[in-house]
Amino acid sequence: MNDRTASGRALRPMIAASLAGILILVSACASAPLAPDSALDGARVAISNADKAGAGQHANAELAEARARLALADNAVKDEDMVAAERFARESQVQAELASARTAAAKAAAVNRDMERGTEAMTEEMERAGDQR
Amino acid sequence: MNNLFRNHASYATALTVAAGVGLTLAGCATAPVSPEGSADVRAKLTQLQADPELATRAPVAIREAEAAVRTAEEPLAAADASLGTHRVYIADRKVEIAMAQAATKQAELERVKLGEERERSRLDARTREADAAHAEAEATRVAAAGAATQAALQAEDMQRQIDALEAKATERGIVLTLGDVLFTSGRADLKVGAAGNLDRLVAFLDQNPDRRVMIEGHTDNVGSDDSNLGLSQRRADSVQSFLVQRGIAAGRISTSGKGEHQPVADNQSEGGRQQNRRVEVIIENPTPVAKSP
Repeated sequence: MNDRTASGRALRPMIAASLAGILILVSACASAPLAPDSALDGARVAISNADKAGAGQHANAELAEARARLALADNAVKDEDMVAAERFARESQVQAELASARTAAAKAAAVNRDMERGTEAMTEEMERAGDQR
Repeated sequence: MNNLFRNHASYATALTVAAGVGLTLAGCATAPVSPEGSADVRAKLTQLQADPELATRAPVAIREAEAAVRTAEEPLAAADASLGTHRVYIADRKVEIAMAQAATKQAELERVKLGEERERSRLDARTREADAAHAEAEATRVAAAGAATQAALQAEDMQRQIDALEAKATERGIVLTLGDVLFTSGRADLKVGAAGNLDRLVAFLDQNPDRRVMIEGHTDNVGSDDSNLGLSQRRADSVQSFLVQRGIAAGRISTSGKGEHQPVADNQSEGGRQQNRRVEVIIENPTPVAKSP
């Protein structure tokens, strides 16, 4: 009798400990996602900036991928998978930023090419003018 | 006995807690490893950092990429594979952004160099132009030196010619005095023998086409003033028409009758009067303005 009572009493802390363990598990692995609105906004702004910078011309593939990631994020929001939504949104933003960076690089390279061509043309012209003397 | 039970219970509790912790660990990190692809991203970043030119061009972006790569390298359980993929994705783009920014900066720095190059090429062209101009000036100088030599020779030649004309170089120019022996007294037409003397004048004027001549007629004081003025003018005109006949442009010649007012000798003696009856041909010095290079 005493034995049974004792084991019954011993069960209660065991349950409590297990619950605590599950709680720890849940909190450790799956922090509840905040609303991914700021991440989504960040992606949209980054895409818009890239577009304005001329990424459509200089980094079209990168811009297209950024848009595709944003679409995935929107779909995940519909599916109420906020973790995935936030990740896709962040990926979309960084991809759009890459599109902007590559656009800037492409433009800078184009300016240099133009300058080089201009200098060459000028040198040629000067030489031709020199020959005419 | 109670004590024993109590000890039992606390043992069980400890066991359960341990199991809970174990579960926690098992749930989150079974054989944790760095996510797939994180090594590639690290390699890419290392390559960028190892490039001595690019590494310094985008320090902020490289630092951000470094942080993202480090996050991507954090070991994760197999269950968190998607988080790992996400982190690797972010890290990869951050590294790419750093590379693009470094390339942009590099291009901008090269542009400065290109600008300098352009400036240098422009300067070169200017230098070439200046050199050409200098060479031209040198050629001109040499030519001028040659011309100076030529001028010296010409001056010598001129002096010989003047000597031949038996003329005098004066401030007004070269003055050639044609005595009255050229004219019959009281008449204006030239004597036949005068041609020899005047031929040398014609030759001189042919050789010096830039020279103009003034022909002045003078008389002695015999006869009226008016008739002397007229006679001196006619004699001057007579010499002019002779020169024009020999091909000297009339525009180069002007005439003037001075009458008896500018004697060069005493009119009291026959010898003096003879000296005063004369025609002076003044070959004017060339005007510097009319001189062309």
